[in-house]
Amino acid sequence: MTKQSIIFSPVTRLSGLLSVEAIIENGRVAEANASGTMFRGYEWIMRDRLVTDAVYLTQRVCGICSLAHGAAASYLLDEIYDSELTENAQYLRNIMFAADFLQNHIRHFYLFSLPDFARMPDRPPYLGQNLTDARLGFSDNERLVGHYFEAVKAAQESHQLLALFGGKAPHQHSFVHGGVSVAPTADKISQALALIRSIGDFVKSRMVPDTELVARVYSDYYAIGVTPPRLLSFGLFKFGKMNENNLWRGGVVSDGRYTLPQAQLINEDITNSWYVSGQEKGEKGEDYLPDPYKPHAYTWIKSVNYTGLPYQVGPLARMIINGFYSGGTSTMDRIYARTLETLLLTELVLGWLNKIKPGPPPINQKKTPVKNEATATTDAMRGALLHSAKIQDEKVVRYNIITPTVWNFAPKDKNGNRGPVESALVGTGIPRSDMLFTILGRTIRSFDPCISCATHILDLKKNVEYEEVF
Amino acid sequence: MEKEEFVRLCQSLSCNNNHELTRAILPVVGEYLALPNKSKLPVIWIETNDSGDNNIAFMNTTYPYLDQVFAEMIDLLYSNTFMAAQGSDALSILEQASLMYKSKFVLVVEGAVPVKDNGLYNIIAITEKGAITALEAIRQLEAAAGHVVAIGTCASFGGPSAARPNLTGSAGVRDVLKREIINVSGCPVNPDWFVGTMAHLLMYGRPELDSLGRPVLFYGFTVHRHCQRRSYFDRDDFASKPGDIECMFSLGCMGPRTGADCPYRQWINHVNWPVKANTPCIGCTNEDFPDGSTPFFTTLPEKSEKDEEKKSTSLKET
Repeated sequence: MTKQSIIFSPVTRLSGLLSVEAIIENGRVAEANASGTMFRGYEWIMRDRLVTDAVYLTQRVCGICSLAHGAAASYLLDEIYDSELTENAQYLRNIMFAADFLQNHIRHFYLFSLPDFARMPDRPPYLGQNLTDARLGFSDNERLVGHYFEAVKAAQESHQLLALFGGKAPHQHSFVHGGVSVAPTADKISQALALIRSIGDFVKSRMVPDTELVARVYSDYYAIGVTPPRLLSFGLFKFGKMNENNLWRGGVVSDGRYTLPQAQLINEDITNSWYVSGQEKGEKGEDYLPDPYKPHAYTWIKSVNYTGLPYQVGPLARMIINGFYSGGTSTMDRIYARTLETLLLTELVLGWLNKIKPGPPPINQKKTPVKNEATATTDAMRGALLHSAKIQDEKVVRYNIITPTVWNFAPKDKNGNRGPVESALVGTGIPRSDMLFTILGRTIRSFDPCISCATHILDLKKNVEYEEVF
Repeated sequence: MEKEEFVRLCQSLSCNNNHELTRAILPVVGEYLALPNKSKLPVIWIETNDSGDNNIAFMNTTYPYLDQVFAEMIDLLYSNTFMAAQGSDALSILEQASLMYKSKFVLVVEGAVPVKDNGLYNIIAITEKGAITALEAIRQLEAAAGHVVAIGTCASFGGPSAARPNLTGSAGVRDVLKREIINVSGCPVNPDWFVGTMAHLLMYGRPELDSLGRPVLFYGFTVHRHCQRRSYFDRDDFASKPGDIECMFSLGCMGPRTGADCPYRQWINHVNWPVKANTPCIGCTNEDFPDGSTPFFTTLPEKSEKDEEKKSTSLKET
């Protein structure tokens, strides 16, 4: 019996700051703690501001998925202000949203994930790569590294497509409540078409075959990083005057059984998170407050579960729930599903661009709120995202943001249930100690970690009056 | 190339047809690096409390593209986002690089630095000896760095990470370190501002800075001064809603008190910017962003009235 505790810190090539501590016993991971090590408290920042500030301000939660927060906040405001969206507004919003997905997925596969599988050039920022399990032949390796550099341009073009309509990126300006403030002129549409064709060519001729190659050469990763078969999505790409339809349906899949998600079945737990109830700190009210000295806690990420059990979110969940993919829940399944989704997105954007009729800015903002609270759900790049607000005189009383990160990177709850990332790591074989970072890094990155998103601290149940939100 | 010529290039490029600043920079840098005893600019990049938007913005640089910047301009030795090394291998590189390039490397800080509770709200790495907070890390690197660059508004002034009620006691790098900081603010930064500043540092050292420590060549004029909609403002023709083509002052535009060249440089390969997208500038390069800019859609004079109220709002009252 050998037992060893290890620290994997920092886990690089992701958004934000992540560390993993693990126990290795007899060559296998026996336990793993994933620690998100940054806290900003975004839900508090929203308080006392006008709720219409939410679209621009909540985008600053996350640099790599900013538009997802802008979209969720816009859907929320659409409900509060009773917006009616024109068809052009619906298409433009989804085009921008998909463009941000493309940027994210291309960057994730090449800039963050590829150095787990291919040998990078021997110069900064690739020094000390220490890829102890490199299996690609010389010419395959050189080709994929060449594509890493082409990906830089394809991802930039994705953001250019977003900015054509959105003003800038990250943190776009035009996708706001009531529609989109930019006119879809013939000129813009044709520029966007040129961009999506170029991005689409890259995805078809590079990213898809590259993913297939990696999946073939590293096929053992279809049996590594397997999580329990529980998947969740809130659905993606809203259509309809009132955002009433998702193009890709949401759902909850547990052991192959499909149900619709219900917000009242979401539960939260702070057992291992650096938060305490306000009362413990002598504050009035029922809010949680940060406490970096809390004994035994190990992360700024809250644990969020559904019917008491952890659920995996992200491209794999979306692809399975929508019947586009029928694999398992391993490291390679997650990587493969993300690339598959990227390909589908390029086709969707092309189709939507062809449906827009050139015309004036498709926006109509109403001035008076018809509700004092609302909840909006969508999927972001990394999975299910929820924004919820309670307002008084248009000012925010409470703003909740449940990000995909709090699902996937959930720490153990009070019953010791591991979140998806931790359960994917436990059981992983580590044949040699010098392979530790390489093997664990592949599985951790297959979830596309974003720790700046770990912003959620408020208790949803105390803040939201439930109604049908899906 | 002489420094004055380079500065002129940076500013005048924005007005001609071929206004990609960075397309012009690379050949100049190549010429410089071909001189004897010149090498790429060593960079150590520490990510602290921000959204990661500035490293994404940096990835959007065009002419040179990101890969060209890495290959031909800077040696990015440590970066949580980009480096291939991971875990303790990454930390060893940080330690070695800070010794090997002592007083030569540029320390780039991305994000605000939490100061409250010994900085425990941001830990850049955990070692056998314990956690390394962002606060400790940048204080340790401070003396060894040749220059310190704060990228983005969080690192420059606190930004959204330090917005009220600022539970983490986050502050800009200038309030944490005791030396001069080159602030390249923006939420996010425009990649031209950052890449241009790095090129200037490489070839001519510290650029001329404004009173907020920002390179004058990018932040020297207000958005308002060169705004395409200035003529609407001058004849009091204001937008009544987002999507309108008139001046956005009525919708809360911060252009009149925001230093940045967005109107002519624009964003993402220079295709658009917020006012051209028929929405107000929200003043994201400013010292008081976002608290001085919210409510975003309320006019400047009305926002200022609310400033006094804001100052009196403490955490307990919220």
